[in-house]
Amino acid sequence: MFSLASIATMVACIFLFGAFFAVIFNVRSLVTSIEEEVGITVLFDEGISEERIKEIGEEISRREEVTELKYTSPEEAWENFQKDYFKDNPEYAEGFADDNPLAQSASYTVKVRSIEEQNAVAEFIRSLDGVREVNQSDQAVKTLVSFNNLLTYVSAAIILVLLIISVFLISNTVSVGISVRREEIGIMKLIGATDSFVRAPFIVEGILLGAVGAAIPLVILYFSYDWIMSKLLGRFGVLRSMADALPPMMQVFRYVMPVGLILGIGIGLTGSIITVRKHLDV
Amino acid sequence: MIDLDCVTKSYTKGQPAVNEITMHVDKGEFVFIVGDSGSGKSTLIRMLLKELEPTSGTITVNGSVLNTMKHKAIPKYRRGIGVVFQDFRLLEDRNVYENVAFAQRAVGTPVRMIRRRVPEVLRQVGLAEKYKSLPSQLSGGEQQRVAIARAIVNRPAILLADEPTGNLDPTNSYEVIKLLDEINARGTTVLVVTHNRELVNQFKKRVVTMNRGMVAHDAEVGEYLEY
Repeated sequence: MFSLASIATMVACIFLFGAFFAVIFNVRSLVTSIEEEVGITVLFDEGISEERIKEIGEEISRREEVTELKYTSPEEAWENFQKDYFKDNPEYAEGFADDNPLAQSASYTVKVRSIEEQNAVAEFIRSLDGVREVNQSDQAVKTLVSFNNLLTYVSAAIILVLLIISVFLISNTVSVGISVRREEIGIMKLIGATDSFVRAPFIVEGILLGAVGAAIPLVILYFSYDWIMSKLLGRFGVLRSMADALPPMMQVFRYVMPVGLILGIGIGLTGSIITVRKHLDV
Repeated sequence: MIDLDCVTKSYTKGQPAVNEITMHVDKGEFVFIVGDSGSGKSTLIRMLLKELEPTSGTITVNGSVLNTMKHKAIPKYRRGIGVVFQDFRLLEDRNVYENVAFAQRAVGTPVRMIRRRVPEVLRQVGLAEKYKSLPSQLSGGEQQRVAIARAIVNRPAILLADEPTGNLDPTNSYEVIKLLDEINARGTTVLVVTHNRELVNQFKKRVVTMNRGMVAHDAEVGEYLEY
């Protein structure tokens, strides 16, 4: 009875761990893939010299958060613009042939290690002499990041509570086992069984409960992950465009499985060791 | 083999359960320890098993001083001592063979050795045929013989029996003491705590009589004395 309860709690604990982990992992990889796209655009004061632009570039790349710095000259900017807007009617652009309308549009595109560091870097760039404008387009990503952080904290709290309950229930199960076999234990001690010999079966029981409690939710997650993902993708069109960025099941499982198993076995081990120390004074 | 030097055990203030006992048992001896309830016999046995610590005095068994023995050394020490109780203390859910084999498993004997040793001991106690029976299917005398088999399966140097005939009829009681005598004849030192006057008088062994925690009488070939 007790072992059922402790396995059930453990199943809930590991299942939640796996589910939250999968969600967090997905959001993280979504964020990463967006982060790769999102950069800071730096535009310069009118009439700035090429040397100053170079200097600014050097100062920016000296920041350790910066992973990539790309210079777009006015000519390139114009070419890109033409490609984007006049690709069907290149003749419209002819009129500007000798007079680049984007002459003031030299820019740096700065990419930063992670979205959290973007603000600091943007702030720094703004303070530089000769910088006219710094554009960040990170709002969506920021929301995603803060949502992910919230989710991490909430899930950590829930998992922690379940963890403590699991340890408690395992401990209870093992102590029931001990009291049932008190006579046998007494005989073993009189015969000269070592402490570890007397304790081992109870520790093993704890570990087994933990392992079973971890295996069940892992199997459930393994088989339901793809199904849930396909349902989600079907329901939220936004996600579909990012489907490539979402990690496949095996990638999530590479982390969830060992951590889940270790968690389960750890809970079982802790619960049984606590009890054995308390009740098996051999 | 067993040396008690001025051993006292008090549970609470007042009359100690064992009071300054000094006693010596040689290797290969057979000793009856007799006395009324409350005379300190069981306390003595429990101290010899290191289940209880003496309040004062020194106990030396098999060369090791129990007072200073480390907790970790207790299992190994107990392997040198077989013990039999009045209530048999068999595992009810296991058959005769398993009950005896259990004692060997508990000390880590290889299976191969267990398979050889258990039938041998069961033959010695006369239960070779009943190895598959559960304790509940046996008579009291048979159950006690299983307990004796379990006590001697690891070849202890000393066998302690605490009222082994307390729950048995005269015939079975006689059989059990006779069995202990046979075990003694093979070299094991045997201490039997008992109330059973007829048996003590019948077997003509050394008798230590205890009264109020003290040794009242110690006779080489003794009789059960009333105090």
